[in-house]
Amino acid sequence: MVKEIERAGIPVVHMCTVTPISMTVGANRIVPTIAIPHPLGNPALSHDEEKALRRKLVERALEALTTEVEDQTIFEV
Amino acid sequence: MKLELGYIQINDIQFSKECKVEANTLYVDPDAVKAFMYEDDDVKAWVKDFSFDVAKPGESVRITPVKDVIEPRVKVEGPGGMFPGVISKVDTVGSGKTHVLRGMAVVTAGKIVGFQEGIIDMTGPGADYTPFSKLNNFVVVAEPAEGYQDHKHEYEHAVRIAGLRAAVFIGELGRNVTPDESEEFETLGIKEGIEEYPDLPRVAYVHMLQSQGLLHDTYVYGVDAKRTLTTIINPTETMDGAIISGNCVSACDKNTTYHHQNNPVVKAMFAAHGKTLNYVCNIITNENVYLADKQRSSDWTAKLCRLLDLDGAIVSQEGFGNPDTDLIMNTKKIELQGVKTTIITDEYAGQDGKSQSLADADPLADAVVTGGNANEVIILPKLDKVIGTLDYVDVIAGGHAGSLRPDGTIEAELQVITGATNEMGFNRLSAR
Repeated sequence: MVKEIERAGIPVVHMCTVTPISMTVGANRIVPTIAIPHPLGNPALSHDEEKALRRKLVERALEALTTEVEDQTIFEV
Repeated sequence: MKLELGYIQINDIQFSKECKVEANTLYVDPDAVKAFMYEDDDVKAWVKDFSFDVAKPGESVRITPVKDVIEPRVKVEGPGGMFPGVISKVDTVGSGKTHVLRGMAVVTAGKIVGFQEGIIDMTGPGADYTPFSKLNNFVVVAEPAEGYQDHKHEYEHAVRIAGLRAAVFIGELGRNVTPDESEEFETLGIKEGIEEYPDLPRVAYVHMLQSQGLLHDTYVYGVDAKRTLTTIINPTETMDGAIISGNCVSACDKNTTYHHQNNPVVKAMFAAHGKTLNYVCNIITNENVYLADKQRSSDWTAKLCRLLDLDGAIVSQEGFGNPDTDLIMNTKKIELQGVKTTIITDEYAGQDGKSQSLADADPLADAVVTGGNANEVIILPKLDKVIGTLDYVDVIAGGHAGSLRPDGTIEAELQVITGATNEMGFNRLSAR
């Protein structure tokens, strides 16, 4: 899906836990997430902490989306 | 470490008030098995009742949903007991002598957790896809206690323990029986092995254990594999139940406890040991859901391969999807240490077989054995008798809405059949 959307001229950030698979399939902008069963959250945290975590991930993704890249890039959080 | 396995062939199972193994027949009292299972408090808490049945090869019988398959064994000499850290107390197993009730298994079935459990057909095309159709199966059907829906992990644990206890009870009946045949397996110390076989390539088995959690688990001496670091284990320890399955992943490629007890990679490597290779040891490593864990565990696997000065490693996977990354990370890092690898996996290549088979890949993973394509569509005929229930055929992994057709036949992906594309190569579709 990432590649097809990009093929249509729209940049994509792939947020995922297993970044090696994202690299293999050819995503250009990758933001690593928490864990496979809960990529954008962490049930071990309190609600406030989790909200902060989610905001941080989304902000990082938006930053990645507006960053020019020459090659496949992982944007560490 | 040396272990002798004494095989007692079981050709028939009969319900009887007296429990014994005589003339290759198991006589067993289901009430006695039930009482032994209920001695465990968790079983008492979460299993409302058990019913029992026997399924024999060639019978028109379908067992579903299947949770685990276990071979009854008993330690007759040497330290420890069966399933150490789970049923027996923790003690290093894998040496001395163990009796095996070969040709039979304990199968746990029933309304287990509601999805991702398998089918064993004892006859017809489905039977060809599962090794368990060739065994005399003592089937334990568990019925959950009220309120289990909110306690699925506790219920899974209870049924897991119940199955192991049934196998221990039955295995014990073989303690004083003279085996029909026996076989010895020995693993030497590192230095001894080099001195004994100076010219043979040093090869280890990298055994990947499913540990994603959420009912996808494996236990080593009672320790949840997701909380372990990659480590070394003697191959014979696995023959004494050191590794057990708590895995409800798709039926075709989950390693049941029976698979761990009878690991075909271990068997094949022992057969080659001292002839074409020096079988050094098993390395066990997990498949967790955090990238950092995948990174750490695969780093550790490669480190151990180097530390052991291996020439080669066989790597087997369990499950599919993100564990494909664990598989590729292990393989790539081991190869980068100068150790040659061959991997054993299976494929999810789509119903037409034209899609990418694994979720991850690397040019260094260039020697692959496949257990088959789990997406292949199969049709299973209606069989006369069902042990368990057909209620979940549409929702188990590999099934779809309408899998169970009005005429009683089943259309589903091969994934639904227990052991069909096993990634240890314990199946009928391997290239062997």
